[in-house]
Amino acid sequence: MPLLLERGSSTRYEAACRKYFAVLFSTKILSTTGGEFRRRWQSSSWYRIERDNGELRTNQESVDYDLQRIILFGSSKSVEHKGSGYLGVFSVCESAIIKKEKMGLSSTITTSCYAVKMCVFDLRRGQQEGQELDKILFFYPPDLSFSSQLSVIGLSEGLITFTRIFSPEAACEVIEAERHSHVFYQAESDIWMVMVVEKNRELEAIWRIEALRSVLKEIHSLFVMFNGSLRTALDAEPSGELLRSNLYTFITDYLCDFFAGKKLQLPSFRDSLRERGTVQALTIGREAAIEVQSLVRALESCAGNTQCQSLVLFHDLLVSTTLSPDDTVNLFTYAVLRMTPRALSSGASSWSNLHKGSSAIQVPPSYTTVPTTSSTASGQLYASRDTSLSSDSSRYLIGRPLQQGKWSKSGDGFLVADTSGADMQCLNSSAVTVFLQQSHERMFLCAHQHKNLTVIVLLPVVSINNVEQGISLVKQQILENASLKILKIEEKLSKGWGGENAYHVSGYRYLLLDGDRSVSRASPPAKVKTLAKESLAAMCKVREEVDLEKSRAKWEDEGHEKDLEVCIRAKNNAWVIARVTRGKELYMVLEKANETLLYASDATEKFSNRYCNGSFSLN
Amino acid sequence: MYSEPSTSQPTIGLSGSGALSHVYIQYPNIRCNIPDLKGLFYDDGNKLLLSPTSNEVWSWKVVPFDPNVAPSSDPISEGPVLSIRYSLDAKILAIQRSDHEIQLWNKETGETFSQKCRPESESILGFFWTDCPTCDIVFVKTSGLDLFTYDSELKSLRLVESKRMIVTWYIYTHESRLVLLASGLQCKSFAGFQLSSAGIVRLPKFEMVMAKSEANSKPVLAAEDVRIITVYGRIYCLQVDRVAMLLHSYRFYRDAIVPQGSLPIYSSKIGVSVVDNVLLVHQVDAKVVILYDLFSDSSAPISAPLPLLLRAYPRAKTLSFRLPDNDNVSSEVTKEANDQEPVLYGDGWTFLVPDLICDSANGLLWKINLDLEAISASSSEAPSVIEFLQRRKLEAKKAKQLCLAITRTIMLEHRPVSVVARVMDILITAYSRAIKTDTYLKGMKPEKSFASSAPQVSSPTFDADESSKRVGLRGKSVSEFASGVAPVNQSSRFSGSDSEERASFEPPKDNSSEIHLVGGAVGKDILIGAETPYEKVQQSQFPVSSSIALDANISEQPESSITSAAISPDEIYRFVFAPVDEEMAGDPAYLVSIIVEFLRSANMERIAVYPNLYVLTAQLLARSQRYAELGLFIINKIIEPSKEVAYQLIESGRQNLPTRKLGMDMLRQLSLHDDYILSLALDGYYLEALKYVRKHKVNSIRPSLFLEAACSSNNPQHLAAVLRFFSDFIPGFKNTSDHTAYCQILAEMNASVAAA
Repeated sequence: MPLLLERGSSTRYEAACRKYFAVLFSTKILSTTGGEFRRRWQSSSWYRIERDNGELRTNQESVDYDLQRIILFGSSKSVEHKGSGYLGVFSVCESAIIKKEKMGLSSTITTSCYAVKMCVFDLRRGQQEGQELDKILFFYPPDLSFSSQLSVIGLSEGLITFTRIFSPEAACEVIEAERHSHVFYQAESDIWMVMVVEKNRELEAIWRIEALRSVLKEIHSLFVMFNGSLRTALDAEPSGELLRSNLYTFITDYLCDFFAGKKLQLPSFRDSLRERGTVQALTIGREAAIEVQSLVRALESCAGNTQCQSLVLFHDLLVSTTLSPDDTVNLFTYAVLRMTPRALSSGASSWSNLHKGSSAIQVPPSYTTVPTTSSTASGQLYASRDTSLSSDSSRYLIGRPLQQGKWSKSGDGFLVADTSGADMQCLNSSAVTVFLQQSHERMFLCAHQHKNLTVIVLLPVVSINNVEQGISLVKQQILENASLKILKIEEKLSKGWGGENAYHVSGYRYLLLDGDRSVSRASPPAKVKTLAKESLAAMCKVREEVDLEKSRAKWEDEGHEKDLEVCIRAKNNAWVIARVTRGKELYMVLEKANETLLYASDATEKFSNRYCNGSFSLN
Repeated sequence: MYSEPSTSQPTIGLSGSGALSHVYIQYPNIRCNIPDLKGLFYDDGNKLLLSPTSNEVWSWKVVPFDPNVAPSSDPISEGPVLSIRYSLDAKILAIQRSDHEIQLWNKETGETFSQKCRPESESILGFFWTDCPTCDIVFVKTSGLDLFTYDSELKSLRLVESKRMIVTWYIYTHESRLVLLASGLQCKSFAGFQLSSAGIVRLPKFEMVMAKSEANSKPVLAAEDVRIITVYGRIYCLQVDRVAMLLHSYRFYRDAIVPQGSLPIYSSKIGVSVVDNVLLVHQVDAKVVILYDLFSDSSAPISAPLPLLLRAYPRAKTLSFRLPDNDNVSSEVTKEANDQEPVLYGDGWTFLVPDLICDSANGLLWKINLDLEAISASSSEAPSVIEFLQRRKLEAKKAKQLCLAITRTIMLEHRPVSVVARVMDILITAYSRAIKTDTYLKGMKPEKSFASSAPQVSSPTFDADESSKRVGLRGKSVSEFASGVAPVNQSSRFSGSDSEERASFEPPKDNSSEIHLVGGAVGKDILIGAETPYEKVQQSQFPVSSSIALDANISEQPESSITSAAISPDEIYRFVFAPVDEEMAGDPAYLVSIIVEFLRSANMERIAVYPNLYVLTAQLLARSQRYAELGLFIINKIIEPSKEVAYQLIESGRQNLPTRKLGMDMLRQLSLHDDYILSLALDGYYLEALKYVRKHKVNSIRPSLFLEAACSSNNPQHLAAVLRFFSDFIPGFKNTSDHTAYCQILAEMNASVAAA
């Protein structure tokens, strides 16, 4: 169990604290002190870490007083095993942020109204004094002053550097401060994404760190799917201007979906029976499945000899995929966000909303200059690199893939991307391409929709010479070879479709996860809403525990998945249950249930036998 | 006798098959080598070729077609013979002596009597024997039909019924049991009766269409212009319209006669034969044959008109092969054969129903055969060829092999998936029909019982009714096969509902030796399979027969036992998928898409597919690293769960953990406790395995396996837990050597931990 050590409460270090934390969090800005700090850090004279009985401790005598406020907790065992050390959770006292804000970084009055901050930065950049700004690849909110942005990034960088001492591969994961949580995600080597969320006293501000991190992960993997990796983009274009403007539009477009009014609503405890980064699949009978496979094979052969990939969705559920789980998740996520019939219809309506309250994505003055000034330069850049394939990522840039209302359905059933917003220097503006992680191949994305059935076909870019012609040829092939099958399958699936609440199991509110295949199934959101706050909050806690336990097990014995079972009774007498067996996870809430544990266990068993092929009924 | 088994099933591809021809007649043929040949008559009720001489009548059995058949003879009295037929039980010989008299001779008693009619008002056009329950013999007279029963006691015919109408001429075939009576000035008004064992059906009167050459000319329809043919158990009438040069066809239903369109003809003289339900229209003047398959109601010919081929005719002067026993006859044969080569479509040729050609001038009888190889080679459209082949019954084995070969070829040629899918669909549908007709015919059996009264039932005749009975036999043999497999399925917990259902059919009857044969062969099959250990599943009791054993078996099977070209899914796997997979190792995706189409067809017809195909599918997907799709196949049960598949997944999952897990989950879901526990333990999940043991009370586990696993993990706690478990779980475990040995190891382990 992680042990939260007592937080330093004494006020006698307050003054000193302010200074040193300022040093710590913005080493690069205050270079003089920062330099000294770094030196001292490295010589370990400031902090000595000792291992005593497997406990990771700071040596109180020799360590400076402010370190009392850096509280480490993690698995002592793993420190021993791994040698290099392991820090599950890294916690820093709250004062850090307050100090930093008061430390003369003046223009931060607006900061407090942003409950959420998010940034992407590259540790390899901006190493020189005075060039710290170069680190920042993205910052939300964009209108925050540079100094405030830098302070957030400085804090993050400091912590990353510090924790790397103990755990070079997996550095910092989270900082739990008194009023903020900092969630870290290392997207690529030395490229970090950090989300800072404000803790409120209200109950609403209960979240699961993993859920927040999965938002960061999702942003990154979606971005990579369309634009290629950040590192490649930076290598190709050292100035990073293009990447910045891409990231800016991309993430702001992404965040649009999280806006409730003017407020960003990040996943909270209310979403604890949902899992981001997984696919929701449609359960189909054998006959329908064979029909679908028959369609998939027909699609595969649509581009002649080149192997196409395909993804078939019904409503917002996955029917079939030929992609690896990771690529499936990415493309599925994107399709559900922007391409399924529901997304198409909601996109159209929210598009107008966005125009009204367009402040959310208005490009701030500080940024508008960046892309425009660089546009000519980068334009030349592309022109010169046109022939080489190395500039792969920039060559196929599409305007704004996550733009609301990006796709619309054309007369022949194919989805067409709106290219009006694509003011980038993209050569093939009409063709959307995606980058597959497994095959490291760039593919044209071609989507056909018949009623509620969305068929996405991916064609390797290398196989098509003339884009317009090649794609329209494939489209024609699809119409010829597959449209009848699509028609039949849509009909068949619609007949067997149980509606929104198809996967509702009365009496249960559940979440079923299959980690191996990145598939999840959950009670319909409308049903989850009927649960009491307490139940959901408890579930959130339980999941947090399970996350921790899982990551610990991963460190301890990789390749051996542990079984886990948690069953707690929440304040409101609901049973909150979690079971983990060999990569599969089941979470459920039973409200208004009998009070014996036996009952809860029986209910789980029943559920497992009925809906999970008995995966969770080992005992 | 010849060393070849039978010439009625000629081995195609010997001589002359290189010639462009789809239909051939095979030398040697039946020869009527009797002196003083007056004329040949064909008794289609008994399938006899009759030749009356002055004092006796010779008869050759033409079914089965054996050129060396020795004629038998019966004495007859002198006199003119207008027509001659044996009764269906072959006891009575009836000879039409004149327009007014038919003489009957009882073979057993030797008694003779005559039946006459009033010469002034009517004359006898002909007669035939019937298996109709109410009468035995029917006289066709200008005044109508007279139905008689034969009374052996009274030695006379008793008139049962008369159908009065004016008849100009008539035609009758025994295979259709249909008599058509023509009347009217142009002889194009017809009345018809079917006198079958089910009773007498009177067909509605109908008129045939005839084109006029001029306004006032009225061509008269002749008897030889109208033919009754039986194809796929349906009865058609073909009418030659010489003016329009068309062959009109009509199909007979119980209550209606429906025109079926017309076929063009290119000769004023037309011969019609039916071989294996294929309609052959001989354009006698042009000396070519056009083939039609009337099954699909399309009037397009199967292939281009090509000449008839005479096969294996010894053009050389010497006949090296051994000659028939009768020396006299054989020398004559040699001489004749050398003297004059038979003229194709000579003047003396008459086309007998259904597939015989009688050269009455030379006393020769030919049997027409289809060259399935040539026909299938002449078309590149695989689906239609396969469809055609699947309907062939006469040379079912050849058709079947051709089907398999074509299917293999088109897959190796990478024809479009849609084409191969269509072929699979046809094969599966044919197989499913072959199974279903079995049950279907069972219900109709009493109605068809007349067949057993006929003497030559067991011979492979080509009678419509009998052929449908053969379908039954074939169907039964298939059901036998299924029932042989069913218990195997159950043992592997393969969903056995379908096979059980099929297995519950009544046991084969004693008189059908054929069925026993097939059943026995299959039984042997399974035994062979059981001896062959499955490569990967060592403890598997499921017999997966190696293809070598089965190949041998197939060739061992007597030819006659294959009565249908239908191919079971198992055969498709063994003779198509497995060899194709071996040959084109490069493209698993193509094969997978074909398997998907195959499964789709099988699923639509509710035909069970054997696990070996699923294993292959899993292999193919794993080979091409398409684990995500493999997962979908398993989860959606496209690949049905079975032990073989589970082990294949575990095997393939060496590179992909989720796939391995799917395999283990499948073992668990199939309740194969032992296998599941074993695989868990081997993966290092021995504690989980023990939990499972406790829950399902699996008694057959070996403690040493788990103890070893725990021991190798070097975790004293785990070892202690495992020891404790077995002490509790297995009574008397504490006294075993395992217990003491591992207790000691545990003590050592603890000591070393304490020391450290």
